Formats: sequence, C-alpha cells, structure tokens
Amino acid sequence: MNASVLMIALPLLAAFLLPLTGPLARWVGPFAAALNIALGISLWQTVAQEGPSVVVMGGFAAPLGIVFRVDTLAVLFATALAALVLILWPRTSADPRRESALLLILLAAGCGLAFSGDLFNLFVFYELIAVASYGLVAASRERLAAAAGLRYLVLSALGSAFALLGIGLVYALAGTLNLADLSRHADALNSPLGLAAFALMLLGFGVKAELFPVNAWVAEVYSTATARTTALLAGGVSKLALLIVLHLVLLVYAQPAALSLLLTLGLLSIVSGQFAGYRAADLPRMLAYSSIAQLGMIAAAFSVSGEAGVLAGLALALHHLIVKPALFLVGDGWPKCVDSLAGLGRAEPWRAALFVLLALSLLGIPPLPGFWAKLLLLKALLGMGEPAWNLAAAVVLLGTAIEGAYLLRVLQTLFRGTTNAKPATFGGALPAGVLGVALLLVMLAATPVGGALQRAAQQAADVPAYVADTLGGSPQ
Amino acid sequence: MLTSRPRWPALLFILGLALLLTALLRDLHFGNAPMQVGQAINGVAAHETGAANVVASVLLAYRGLDTLGELAILFAAATGAGLVLGIAFRNGNGEAQAKTNTEPPAGFILRKGADLMFPFLLILGAYVILHGHLTPGGGFQGGAILAAAFFVPQLARPSSPFNERTAHWVEALAGASFVLIGIAGLAGAGWFLAPLLGTGSVGELLSAGSIPLLQLAIGLKVGSELAGLMIALHGPKET
Repeated sequence: MNASVLMIALPLLAAFLLPLTGPLARWVGPFAAALNIALGISLWQTVAQEGPSVVVMGGFAAPLGIVFRVDTLAVLFATALAALVLILWPRTSADPRRESALLLILLAAGCGLAFSGDLFNLFVFYELIAVASYGLVAASRERLAAAAGLRYLVLSALGSAFALLGIGLVYALAGTLNLADLSRHADALNSPLGLAAFALMLLGFGVKAELFPVNAWVAEVYSTATARTTALLAGGVSKLALLIVLHLVLLVYAQPAALSLLLTLGLLSIVSGQFAGYRAADLPRMLAYSSIAQLGMIAAAFSVSGEAGVLAGLALALHHLIVKPALFLVGDGWPKCVDSLAGLGRAEPWRAALFVLLALSLLGIPPLPGFWAKLLLLKALLGMGEPAWNLAAAVVLLGTAIEGAYLLRVLQTLFRGTTNAKPATFGGALPAGVLGVALLLVMLAATPVGGALQRAAQQAADVPAYVADTLGGSPQ
Repeated sequence: MLTSRPRWPALLFILGLALLLTALLRDLHFGNAPMQVGQAINGVAAHETGAANVVASVLLAYRGLDTLGELAILFAAATGAGLVLGIAFRNGNGEAQAKTNTEPPAGFILRKGADLMFPFLLILGAYVILHGHLTPGGGFQGGAILAAAFFVPQLARPSSPFNERTAHWVEALAGASFVLIGIAGLAGAGWFLAPLLGTGSVGELLSAGSIPLLQLAIGLKVGSELAGLMIALHGPKET
C-alpha cells in the first residue's frame, strides 16, 4: 500500500534531480511516468485482493496526521493520469528540462489528489497542480498563450483563495480537516455557514473542474496552449478537481441543499457549455466548450447521492478522459476555423475516421462507451425520484441534442467538397491512436470494465467503511 | 476589448460574493472555535517528536507531506517563471541583455555595505535554519535570508559573479534529500516521512530526530531557488 506514497515521492524526486541528469534528462520523465503506471497496477492488484486500506504519513494517525485512502477509485485515477502523462509526453519543447520538471510535478500532485484523505492536504496538491499548469500553459510558443496563461493564473489564484476560505470555515466549524473525521462531525456543517463553506470550496475547486461561474479561462487557454497541455488539463486535471468535490459530497456534505447546489452548477455548466459550443466557429474552442458541458454532466452525476451517482460520474469521467484528449490531438494542426475543414475527410481519411469515432462516442451513439456513460447518468438522475433531478435528466438530453447539432456539423464539413491544401503533419498521431484503440478496447470489454467501475463506486460510496478504516485500527 | 464587454455579470458576481461574506460575518462566532486537532497536537507534540517548537513539529512531522507539497509549489513556481522568462529572452528581447551589461555599479557605500552584510546574513540564515526545531523560524524563513545574502551583492554590483551551476546542484540535492529522508522513514519505520534518529532531549540543539535535517534541506533548497529566481528576474547573464 505504500506504493501510493511512492507514486508521489518518486516523480517529485525525479523533478528535483532533473537538472543534474544531463543527457539522460529527456528519458527521466517518461521513465518516472512508466514507473507510476507499474506501481498503480501493483496497487490495483493489492486492492482487488485485500480491499481498500489506509496509509498513515509518518506514522501519525488520523486526525492528527495525514492519511492516504487507497481504494479502487483512487488507484484508477492515479494510474489513468500516469498513463495520460506518458502518452502525452511532449517530443519537442521550447525548454525540455523545465517542461519535464513541471509535468513530473503535475503527475505527483495528481496522484496526491487521488489518494489523499485530508482536506488541507488536498488543497496543497490542488495548488501544486495549478502552479505546475500555469507554466505548462505559458510554455506554448504562441504569443497569445502568455496572455491566456496570465488570466488563467489570476482566476485560478482567486479560486484558490475561495477554496482556502472555505476550508478555514470548515475547520472553524468542525475542528478537524480529515475527511473521515469530518464525516463524523458532519452535523456541525449542516448549517447556512457550513453550506457557505461548501459553496466557497465549490467555487475554488470549480476553477480546475471547469464549473459554471468560474470557467471563463477554459476556451481561451485550450485554444492557445499546446495540444498536449490542453489534452492533459481537459482530460486529467479537471477530473481530479471534481474528485475532491465527490469526496466532499459523499463524506461530508450529504445534505440536500449542498447536493442541489452542485446539481445547479452542473446543469448551468451543461447548458452554457453546449450553447457556447454551438456558437463556436473554431474547433479548439468548440471542443473546450464541449468539455465544460461534459464536466457539468459529471458534476450532475456526483450530485446524486449513493452508488448510482458515483458510478455514472466515474464512467463519464473516464470516458471523457480518453476521448477529449484524443479529439484535441486530432484537431491539432488542422485549420482552426470549422468552415476550413471542408474536404479533409478525403485528404486524410484515417485521421478523419478517428475524429468521427471519437465525436460519436462523445455524443453517445449506442455501441460506443459514451452511450453507456450517458445511460448510467440518466438512470442515476431519474433514480433520485425528485423533480429537480428529473428536470436535470431533461437538461442532459437537451444538451446532447445541441451537442449533436454542432458535432455533426463538423463531421458534415469534414466530408464535404475537396481541399487543395496538402495534408498537415499529424504530430499527435501516436497518442491519439493509442487513445482511440483504448476506446475500442473499452467498448469490446464493456462487461469487465463495468464490473470494475461498479466495484470502485461501491467502495467509494461505502462511507461507514471509509470512516472505520481511517479512524479505527490505526497504529500508535 | 475588455471595456466593450458588458460589466453586469461581474457586478452580479461581486454582489453575490458580498452577500455570501455578509452572511458569514453575521453567523460566525469568533474566538471559540473547536480546535480539536490543534489542542491534541499541543498536548503530545513535544513528547512524540522532541521538537521544542510545536510549529516545526506540525510542519515537518504531523503534516510533513504538506510541507513537501509547499516545497514543490515553490519549485514549480520558480520553474514556470524560468520557462516563461527563457522564452521571452530568447524571442529576440535583446534590450534586457544590453541593460544588464551597461548598468553602472552602485556607489561606494552600497557596495561596501553589501560586502559587509554578506557574512552576517549567512550566519543569521544558518542560525534560523538550524534552530528551527527550537525557536520560531526554520527552513523557509532561513532560506529566504540565505537568498538575500547572495542577492544583495548582485544588486550592488550587477557584474559580480553568481555561480548558477552550484546553485542548481545545491537546489537539486537539497530537494532530493527531503524526499530521500521521507523514503528512509518508509524503509526504516514503515511510514513515509516517519521521524528517525529518536527524539533526543527537548530543547537541545541536537534533538527532534530528523526534523533539523529536513529544515536544512528546506533551507538550502529555498535559499538557492529564491536566489536563482531573483537573479533570473534581474535579467539574463552573459555566460
């Protein structure tokens, strides 16, 4: 189980030592990411055999010390992030040494976000992943990226301040920040003040999770940063931020008011994202708005109490983690304006076919995994049996219709007419291909994948077991 | 471009935020927070970690992972700044280069004052770092003083040498040793960042196990990193 700590310690060690590795520097990063995947797989097996467990930092038991909770959900996300980082490792870079260091830090912080069971520790890793991503965004050679990065930094810093204020309020009300301990003191937070703390944390963590009022940076950053950075932020980082929100609503804020607030923000994200996507004229922005809507759907899923919501959110998150990075990579190098894509379907048939596959899965066309994820979401929303959640199901369907309108418009343009432009280089062919194959494999292995997700959701939603694991039977 | 956009969403956001904060101020009772964790740590810290300074025991024992995270945040910020500056300087920004070269040295008093302060700043920085487990202070504060010790001569005499290679080595090895002490705890005691080397007697210079070592690692890393960052911000050096 201590492998979970190594998944953070080793990438950090590699990042710190990177300046001294000389000619080996370009291999250190991919090696560390591959090592993290191996550690994740070994943890996966341990969790499958022995069930979830708790790792105590420094031997100081909760709530005084920091604990890691190692369960299927956490291992899944930590491993998926490592795989994404490895697949998206840049081949060329303006400053390879510094960019590698930032990617390694992002990897370590992401694993910390997946495993940590302490609210303040989660904030530290959230801040770490934020600071690493500022540098990565600004590393693009495009001039506009620096401006976009600066605005992203300002909004993100504001969000972090909100989150910290919320966490401070939680400590003032409940006297502890360990999630399991907070779960025992949840009554202390069941007040307007506690709800305000939740709202503040939602605004704070919502910046990376692309939630409604604080997502103004998304379109600008995703259309100017390099495709690989965009893929990493949209695919990996955003999900990890939502994972904090999931822990909060599962363990601490199971109260209806908090769930309604999360649902409202999720629905507003869906509506605003899909409408903005419909109006977007260039492809990266369209994909960015679609990403906002998809994350809104995950937030809506997490607002359903119990296992069904976790399962739906998890399926949507993993699906989006595979599909959206691949879409950004395929679109990279193509003309940005949607109308200029005409004829590319004939000029570059394989690339266009991959785009079609990914877009159809994003939309949720039946045999593809995206369909099952959306079906689970609708089932979960309707399963709540409350008017607001029934309305949410309708909003999701409406959103899907709008999404269909603009995605099909792109597909139609791709296969219309001919183009004289010579085929652009497809720099992201390998990573996009790997992600496309992963999507097909998930489709073929739907049953075992579904079983694994079910197990992850079951473990995550089992709050009494979480609390007992963390606070009972600890050393010292 | 910004002025042509409607301002009402921002106004709405500010109003909502004001409402939220007013509600907070109305309901929040200051002064009687349930400090469960804080009080529990106050009770056991000296005994469990051997550090006379309870803050140090929280930073480096109970919440050592947070501190590793903070250290990494500083590193990420410095790396990101270096990345952006590197691209900016490479994009044909020759004037910054020229400015550094033609900058005249400061006056006699400033130069001699900087020379005079250097050893004292070094001693003060080392003292604050090494007594971090006994008195207020520690790696972050002492590291900032060390950085100042190396940056003040640069301000007084821009052409004076600063060995960036050595700074990189110190920074990398200090950061790595923090992680390695953590992994040694994992190997020795079974938990990452577990305290090693016993607690010693509270209040002695050589006490609190591995906490002073972690302070030293933080101090050296923060010092070399901040000095390198300030010198990078000051402009590219001809090397």
